[in-house]
Amino acid sequence: MSKSMRNSRHNSRAESSNSSSSPSNPPRKRVKRCCRNFVTFMCTQVGVGALIVLYAIFGALSFMHIERKYVDENTAYVSELRHNCAEKMWNITEKFNTFDRSEWQNNTLDILQQYQTEIATLIKNGYVGRTPEQIWSFPAALMFCLSVITMIGYGNMVPRTPWGKGFTVIYATFGIPLYILYFLNMGKVLARSFKFLYRSLHECAQERNKYESRLDALENGSLGALQRKKIIVPSTACLWVIISYIITGTIMFANWEKWSFLNSFYFCMTSLCKIGFGDFVPGASLITAADIDAASLKIKEDASADPEDLFNMQLITDQNSKLAINFFYMLIGMGLVSMCYNLMREAVRMKIKEIKEDTKLCLEDTRARFMGCCGTREYYDEDYY
Amino acid sequence: MSSRRSSFRKRQKPPFERFKDRCRQFTAFMFSNVGIILLVIIYTIGGAFIFQAIELFEYERFNKHKTIKPNITAKCLQKIWDITVQNISFFDNIYYKERVNEILLEFQREVAHENLIDPDIDKQWSFSGAFLYSLTVITTIGYGNISPKSDWGKLVTILYAIIGMPLFLLYLSNIGDVLAKSFKWIYSKVCLCRICPGVARRRIIRERRKLRQLAMSKALQDMESRRYTSSSSDSRSSNSSSSSYYSEETETSTQSMSALENFEEENDSDIEREIRMNTDEITVPLMVCVVIMISYILAGAILFSRWEEWGYLDGSYFCFISLSSIGFGDLVPGERVITADKDKVEVSFILCAVYLLLGMALIAMCFNLMQEQVIHNVRAIKRAFKSCFGCRR
Repeated sequence: MSKSMRNSRHNSRAESSNSSSSPSNPPRKRVKRCCRNFVTFMCTQVGVGALIVLYAIFGALSFMHIERKYVDENTAYVSELRHNCAEKMWNITEKFNTFDRSEWQNNTLDILQQYQTEIATLIKNGYVGRTPEQIWSFPAALMFCLSVITMIGYGNMVPRTPWGKGFTVIYATFGIPLYILYFLNMGKVLARSFKFLYRSLHECAQERNKYESRLDALENGSLGALQRKKIIVPSTACLWVIISYIITGTIMFANWEKWSFLNSFYFCMTSLCKIGFGDFVPGASLITAADIDAASLKIKEDASADPEDLFNMQLITDQNSKLAINFFYMLIGMGLVSMCYNLMREAVRMKIKEIKEDTKLCLEDTRARFMGCCGTREYYDEDYY
Repeated sequence: MSSRRSSFRKRQKPPFERFKDRCRQFTAFMFSNVGIILLVIIYTIGGAFIFQAIELFEYERFNKHKTIKPNITAKCLQKIWDITVQNISFFDNIYYKERVNEILLEFQREVAHENLIDPDIDKQWSFSGAFLYSLTVITTIGYGNISPKSDWGKLVTILYAIIGMPLFLLYLSNIGDVLAKSFKWIYSKVCLCRICPGVARRRIIRERRKLRQLAMSKALQDMESRRYTSSSSDSRSSNSSSSSYYSEETETSTQSMSALENFEEENDSDIEREIRMNTDEITVPLMVCVVIMISYILAGAILFSRWEEWGYLDGSYFCFISLSSIGFGDLVPGERVITADKDKVEVSFILCAVYLLLGMALIAMCFNLMQEQVIHNVRAIKRAFKSCFGCRR
């Protein structure tokens, strides 16, 4: 909104300055016009993308600042609980000694079960078992901001402080329109460029295949222009683009995160559809317990090593570059979805129009025939001949 | 072809055809609006049954295939026993506690993992849970508190989303349109009429005034050109008072001047009215839209905070996150009620689903209205800028 306003202002100013200098010299004017076009292009396409990135970084920093102040009273409580449990066990060991194994086991089992139920209730109430510093690392916060403004909402990390919640609401109210602007803009640009690409390819192929027939068309140039205008990218082409993009993502994530292909594909689909369940989240594997599933499922076999730590050590080293690629994968993917939406809408509209005309013709035909059968011969004749 | 058809119809019985048209319109309306609501609901219910069946079936099969789960508690107990046997010196209290603590930490992690990976499949995939799940899929909220664990469930989810999301978008755009139209109608009937009765009359006045303005500007141009010619011929006459100048002018110019005076008489009252009307038409809806959205979110906050024992901040946060289709899933409806009471869950789930569906449509409506306003405003600003710069140069 503000962007467009600024743009319009910029445009009008440039126009007015142009009009004032118009009588002086044409080349200068041309350069100026070029500059203006370039600036507007930057403002609308690249600028919006840059704005999104900056907005996300700003959000990440502020969320880190806000959320790191959160004091989880559960952490202290859990450690206390654990110490108590150990103390009780020590007491039992002292009391029963190691000779009476069954008695010892019964008592210890009771304590362990009690401990388990308490932990389970804590987890149900949202205990994660990590300090906020661990959770809100910069890459994770960036991913969180992206998930907010794109409306994916993985939910693997959430604001816990009231300030964080309020800020999330405000952040979303400003971020979502910005993102929608990006979405529409990117979709338009990509659709235009894709259409251009498709058209040029199409023309190339046509010229190679039926050069003769094209020659006739080209002789009277208007026909060629007409043909060029009529080409509409078929919806299958868009689908192929999207499918190939998703498959690329699937292979990428499957390699990086050691997910199975189905899980990776599922992740890509749910992310690009903005559903975002959050049962699989890339690049954020050290963030919540939900991600331990993905990690520990893979390394379940060798239970001897602590799977989480191993995985973390692997990930921390090359997380930043992955995160950047991840971030842009999401952004570009959204743009591609928007492009396909644009192109397919066009194709679908054309098809619907055709179908409507067909049905209309069909209806007319049947009606005329019906009337003819009923004996009102004149109508039939009139309509048909 | 259409002309042929119309002529054809004219020869047929006209009242019958008209009735038919009415009927067709009615069915079209039903299909487009009520039908799509029904379609969405039926699709969601069907999805709920499908997912429930798939997940429960797969869970059963999975459990049959897999041998009994490794009992975590027993494992932990065994470990502790080993330590105790190993470390028979009872004097090393601290060391023993340390070891036990480590084991307990691991135990805790495993418990957490177990709890997060499958917390009660049966309870999760009850009908209400599955319904909520399929609703979150097609609305793209995606809380993630319930997610498919089996491979088939994941594949079906993808297919379900591919078909369901366009359907839901259709629902949104259709219902949003209808709501926007009806809301605009209500707004114009209720709010505008109360402020100043006779909207139609005012509109007529405004239109007439516009026409008059057009004519006047034309006349003024004429006058100006004529004045130039007259000034070139006789500079003194143009410098003299307007009355003398008046008398010199021809008939058309006097007409135009009278129109001008007329216009100026009407000016203050009419322009004031028009300004008021403009403000009514343009700025208030934006505010009204925002107010509607906020009040809807607050109403949801009150509703949910009563059900789920959340605070008002949490409730409104939940409503906002849900309605903007972000859906973190840290706060989820029905999560706590599900264990307590069976009847209440059903009611709360139905209300929650209705709240979500209606809220999405309402937001679409608000965006529909706001978009109009914003486009109008931007156009006005653009025009103002253009005129401003045009004046200066």
